[in-house]
Amino acid sequence: MIHLTIDGQAVQAREGQSLLHTALDAGIYIPHLCDHPDLEAKGGCRLCSVTVNGGETPVPACMTLAEEGMTVEIRSEAAEAVRRTSMELMLATHPAECTGCPKFGKCELQSLYQYMGVNGQDWRQKSRPVPTDEKNPLITHLFTRCIRCGRCIRACQDKRGVKVLEYVRDAGGVHAGIPGGKRLAEAGCRFCGACIEVCPTGSIVDAVGLMEKYPSYADNVVPCRAECPAHIDIPAYIRAVREGRPGDAHAIIREKVPFPLVLGHICNHLCETGCKRTSLNDPLGIRNLKRFAVEHDAGQAWKDKGFHKPRTGKRVAVIGSGPCGLTAAYYLNKLGHDVTVLEKRPQLGGPMTSGIPAYRLPLEGVMAEIQWILDSGVKAETNREVTSAAALRKEYDAVLVAVGVSKGRKLPLPGAEFQQVYTAMDVLADSRAGADLSYLGKTVCVIGGGSVGYDAARSLVRQGMTVHLACLEQADRILADKEDQEEGAQEGIHLLPGRSFEAIEGTPDRVTGLRVHTVLSSTYDRATGKVTEVAEEGSQTVIPCDSVIFATGQHTGLSSYESFGIELNGRGYPAVEGFNTSVDGIFAAGDAITGISFVIKAIQQGREVASVIDRYLGGDGEIDETLAERSAEPRIGRVEGFAALPRVEQELRDVKQRLSGGADVYRTYSCKEAECESGRCLQCDLRLQLQRVKLWNEYGGDNG
Amino acid sequence: MREMLLNLSEKQCPVDGLLRYVKGHRCLDCGKCVFGYEGAAQLELTLTDITMKKSRSGDLAQLEKLCRMMVEQSLCGDGTELGRTALAVFGQYAGAFSEHVAKRACQAGVCRSFVTYHILADRCVGCGECLDACEDDAILGKKKFIHVIDQDECTQCGRCLDTCEEEAIVKAGPVKPRCPAKPIPCKR
Repeated sequence: MIHLTIDGQAVQAREGQSLLHTALDAGIYIPHLCDHPDLEAKGGCRLCSVTVNGGETPVPACMTLAEEGMTVEIRSEAAEAVRRTSMELMLATHPAECTGCPKFGKCELQSLYQYMGVNGQDWRQKSRPVPTDEKNPLITHLFTRCIRCGRCIRACQDKRGVKVLEYVRDAGGVHAGIPGGKRLAEAGCRFCGACIEVCPTGSIVDAVGLMEKYPSYADNVVPCRAECPAHIDIPAYIRAVREGRPGDAHAIIREKVPFPLVLGHICNHLCETGCKRTSLNDPLGIRNLKRFAVEHDAGQAWKDKGFHKPRTGKRVAVIGSGPCGLTAAYYLNKLGHDVTVLEKRPQLGGPMTSGIPAYRLPLEGVMAEIQWILDSGVKAETNREVTSAAALRKEYDAVLVAVGVSKGRKLPLPGAEFQQVYTAMDVLADSRAGADLSYLGKTVCVIGGGSVGYDAARSLVRQGMTVHLACLEQADRILADKEDQEEGAQEGIHLLPGRSFEAIEGTPDRVTGLRVHTVLSSTYDRATGKVTEVAEEGSQTVIPCDSVIFATGQHTGLSSYESFGIELNGRGYPAVEGFNTSVDGIFAAGDAITGISFVIKAIQQGREVASVIDRYLGGDGEIDETLAERSAEPRIGRVEGFAALPRVEQELRDVKQRLSGGADVYRTYSCKEAECESGRCLQCDLRLQLQRVKLWNEYGGDNG
Repeated sequence: MREMLLNLSEKQCPVDGLLRYVKGHRCLDCGKCVFGYEGAAQLELTLTDITMKKSRSGDLAQLEKLCRMMVEQSLCGDGTELGRTALAVFGQYAGAFSEHVAKRACQAGVCRSFVTYHILADRCVGCGECLDACEDDAILGKKKFIHVIDQDECTQCGRCLDTCEEEAIVKAGPVKPRCPAKPIPCKR
């Protein structure tokens, strides 16, 4: 350690440490602007001028190394004169109106001149106007406000090695910019945002609206992670894939969800809607990379990591073994509680094994992930229907109702009670169980154009049936996603959009058809649940079919307060307040309280309710864990044509292959494809590695 | 270049000379340090004002102080050199600088704002050529009358000087020739 005195205060410095950072580390503030803790010091602004050992000529503290026995004076007359002059010179040519600046209140220059109490009015004023450039994706340039500190240039050139930003001179003068007047994309920008992060003024900022979606700064910077209901560390696992570490990637995903493979197949990937690369061309194939990572994890090193708290002796029952129930069970067991999952079906997994068809989600993968949960110590009883949660509560310290929405709902049409009228949930369960579906006949009519409707229709097409899929929505408003519609059409589903349903024709034991008419438009009133339609005159027809399948919504199947023992709301869902039901110690979560949703959402509900139950049982509710170390190389370098790199899609198997067996519709990325796709990531999270410069008022002492 | 600046002839103005030197200096193309870039910018702006008769009383002292800091605090030799050169020119031609600021005069007659144009009464033949040449309508008079330049309108462009075949139009520094206040009939 080196010992020296700064403003009369004895401080210590490390070998090679600058006077500026010696002082700042000791809580002594020295004004500084062009210095940034993550960038090499250059000494251009001279705001950190100090005098050393009584010398007359001020030196920049950022460029002067601490030496044994030094006496440093920050506020000597000469140092103050240099500092004030430098600030005045900068202000003389900087736009005077701070209030219109996007950085107002967060600007380092503004903070500094307020601290120093100077202005540039003794000097000749000059503006160096540069047109505001909002045409680049994600990044807005307002170089009129550039003070030439060079921090963005050092970040881009040295820290990132991308080498896009430089000092440029145009009619307005010298400022940071892109030589040759190029667009960021053509100059090779990787849109990492480091330039934005280090800019002390409002010269380089996030494009309008990018930083306003979430309350937290980090969430706005990394929106994929923010959008994911479970907040999986997406940039970290994509990096692991790119660097050839699928095991680490799998472990990172496992930190937040116990069903990585399931999600890799069927997640509705909200993360991709948040992906900032969408502003360049298309979002990353995040879900597909997840699937690749899980399938290529040979070592399964994550199994030996993570927390296991001491056993508490408390007993918890979880009703329902869908993604919410099993996730909650998994974490509650890790938290030290004895957990028993009670499942009414013969197989664990809920919709993962009895709803989502095999062509979307291979059974072996789901079973392996469930098996790990059982191996970790969760007990499970199948074929065990719970009729009263209240009764169960007497045997357990806590009960979780995670029954999902497994009961299909039929529309109240004449004939809906006929034997040959089913719900998609029943058919999908049979289909998944490999049951003989010939009872449906040769031609079926599915009502409902959501993802469940498509699941049913596409499952039955694979049985060689003729499948009509009719829905109220017009063709351009169909609820199922684009892939379902396109692939379903290829597989031969006969789509009948814009139809209203009148009655099921036939007799109680034999359906002959579905009577419909065409609607020109329809509106759904969310408040009342009423549908108003404009029918096309004379459009009534009967679609001949042997059975009708309703895919028109689901519910919990819970009947009443009396039998189940907890209060239900008007829609038949458990009434909850923060997962607590009306009975102490009985909790509810997942689709059973949210209504039908996506697996990732149910998993997040499972995580949250596990914490709540743990706290109820006397624990701290802490379930966060790190299963893989993070390492992120800040120097990302240049990649030619980076902005235009096209999204890699998983290969879609051809229709014949798809229809001939239960095989997965898509092939997992090859290693090459995964490398390409992961290489498209903007690595928005790298920005968060860069330190924020502390302003004067964040230092203690008498700096004010 | 620096040598030339310190060895100016009587017909060269040191303020104008230094301004030209600053305008062509590398510091204005660089921007990497405040004292080099903003210092050069202030030199350019202030010297321009001085040559344009727009100086302020404290300008010279302020520039000297600035240049001393440029010598001391610039990031590289370029800014140091510019500060040194300017200080040397200030020192060598202190009289010319203070004359520009205090007396509002350019002895060398280079700084256009300090130069006035005049039509000598004994040479003007009242031909009207200069009237036609003046784009600012700053010359009063008509045929056979001695023309007079309205100093309030004149922009010191110098066009009239070249059109007059009688060499009746002259530039003047601090000492002005005597001329009629308004057009009077020609004697010649």
